[in-house]
Amino acid sequence: MQLAGQPQAPNIIIRGSGSSLAAASVQERLESQYEAFSEDSFVCVGDIVPTDMQEGFLRGHGTQVVDGQLMATVCGRVERINKLVSVRPLRNRYSAELGDVVVGRVTDVAGKRWIVDLNARQEATLQLSSVNLPGGVQRRRTAEDELNMRSVFEEGDLISAEVQALHQDGSVSLHTRSLKYGKLAGGQLVTVPANLIKRQKHHFNTLPDMGVDVILGCNGMVWVAPNAPPPALGADGEPEQAPPRPPATREQRAAVCRMAGALRALAALYFPIFQATLVDAYQARKPGLVDAA
Amino acid sequence: MAFQNTVASTPYNTIKLPDTLSVKGARFEGRGYEHFRNIFMQPGMLSQAAGSAYVEFGNTKIMAGVYGPRESDRREAFSNTGRLQCDVKLATLATRQRGRFGQSDQEREMSAALVSALSGAVRRETFPKASVDVYAVVLEADGGELAVAATAAALALADAGIELSDLVSACNVSRVDGQLLLDPSAGEARRQDGSAMMAMMPATNLVTHLELTGTWSAAQATEVLQLCMGGCLQLDLAMRASLRQTAPG
Repeated sequence: MQLAGQPQAPNIIIRGSGSSLAAASVQERLESQYEAFSEDSFVCVGDIVPTDMQEGFLRGHGTQVVDGQLMATVCGRVERINKLVSVRPLRNRYSAELGDVVVGRVTDVAGKRWIVDLNARQEATLQLSSVNLPGGVQRRRTAEDELNMRSVFEEGDLISAEVQALHQDGSVSLHTRSLKYGKLAGGQLVTVPANLIKRQKHHFNTLPDMGVDVILGCNGMVWVAPNAPPPALGADGEPEQAPPRPPATREQRAAVCRMAGALRALAALYFPIFQATLVDAYQARKPGLVDAA
Repeated sequence: MAFQNTVASTPYNTIKLPDTLSVKGARFEGRGYEHFRNIFMQPGMLSQAAGSAYVEFGNTKIMAGVYGPRESDRREAFSNTGRLQCDVKLATLATRQRGRFGQSDQEREMSAALVSALSGAVRRETFPKASVDVYAVVLEADGGELAVAATAAALALADAGIELSDLVSACNVSRVDGQLLLDPSAGEARRQDGSAMMAMMPATNLVTHLELTGTWSAAQATEVLQLCMGGCLQLDLAMRASLRQTAPG
C-alpha cells in the first residue's frame, strides 16, 4: 500500500485460467444490477463508530464502549438496526445457527460420533444416532453399527448436513437424517467467505439450464456437482437411497468448472451469493474464455 | 513529522551501508532523527491463512499469518477465554550470516514478547476454548524485528476479523552518542548505548509492551517514551489506511 497518495483498487487475482478477465466481466454485469455498499460505512479496529449523537444506543457485536463512545473491535461495515449499532466484519469465522445447511469435512471418527470440520471456531460433531443407516432401517444403534461407522463416513469425506443443536460451550451437533444430506462426491468444493452466504429458503439449488446442482453451505463451503438423477421410488412409494452417480461427461464437468469459477469471481468481488447472483455471474462469461468442446 | 512514503516495497539489499552515524542532523538513508525508514504494509497476502500481513520497515521484512480461532491442538482444562499463541521465526536467510536450523533463544524470547504485546489487545473472551495462532516469519532482519512483527501481527489479526480492543503498533528508539534515533536500522542499533521498544494501542492510549535498556535520566526517559508514542501513532494511521484500502467493495 501507499501511505499517502491515490487510493488503489485492490488487485484481484483468481486462480484458474483466464479468470481475472472473467472477474472483470462479472463485476461489469453485476454492478449495474446490484447496489455496492458505500465506503463511508467502513470502520477499522479502534475507530469511533458514529452514533449520530443519539442519546441511547445499544452495543452490538463487534463494538465496545470506551469513555461513553462506541468503538469498533473489528474491521468491517457498520450496521444499524434502530438503536442497535454493530460492526459486521468483512471476514470472520462461521458461527452456526440452528437449522443451517452446512458442508463440512469429516476429520475424525471417534466413539459413536464423527468430528466434522466446518471452518468454524470449533469442530462440529455428528452423532451416530443422527445419521440415516444405509438401507434406511430405523432401529437402535448397536455396537456393530459403531464398528461399521467408516462404511458410512470416513476421514476426509465431504458431507452436507444440518445444524441440529447448539450447545452451551459453543460446540455444534449436526444431523444428516434426510436423503438430501450425506456424502458428497463427483463434484467440486469452493470455499468462500462465510458471510457472503445468507440464510435463505433454498440452500440446495438445482439449475437444470446449466445442468448443475449447487449446495450453498452457510459455513461458506459450496458444493457444485452435475445434476443428480431424480431419486427412484421404492416399492412403498418412498424415495430410496440415492444410487451412485454416473461418471460426469465432459460437458457436465465444464459446466461445474464454470459455475465454480463464477463462485470464485463473486467471492473475489465480495458479492453476496444467492441463486440469482450465481446465475448472473455464470452467464457473464465472455465468449471464448472457456471452451467446453 | 514527515513520513517517508514508498510506492513499492524495497528490493533485497545486497550491499549494506557502512555502520557509521551520519553527521549534521541527518542519518544515513537521508532521513532525520525522528523519521521512520521506508514503510510498506499490505494486509491479506496469504490465501490459506484466516488473516495475514506483510510489513517492511526499510530492510526489515516480516510476513505474519493468523490462523483461527480454531480448535486448540493441545488438550487443556476448560477455560472461558481463548488461547493466543505466537511464534516468531527468523528465516535462515534473514541475516548476513546464515541462520541455524531450529528455534533459537532469540526466537523464543521474541515469541514471548509478541504474546505480551498482543494479548492486551486481543479480546480472548470472544473465542472460548479455541486458540488463535499467530506466526511471524522474519524474511530479512535489519533492526527492530520485534516491533515490525508486532505491527504485522496486529494487522493480520485485524485482517482475520478477530475482535481487538484496538490496533497495536510498535516501534524502536535507539540512543547513539546521546542522540535519540527513531526506528534504528541494525547498523545504528549496533552503536546504541540505550534502547526502547514500545507496543501500544494509540486509540485507547494504552501501552501493551515496553522494553527499556541502558541507563536513562528521568528527563531523557520521558523524551524517549514520547518519541515512541509519537512513532506508534504515525504507524497506527498508516495501518488504518492500509486496512481501509484492502477492504473489498
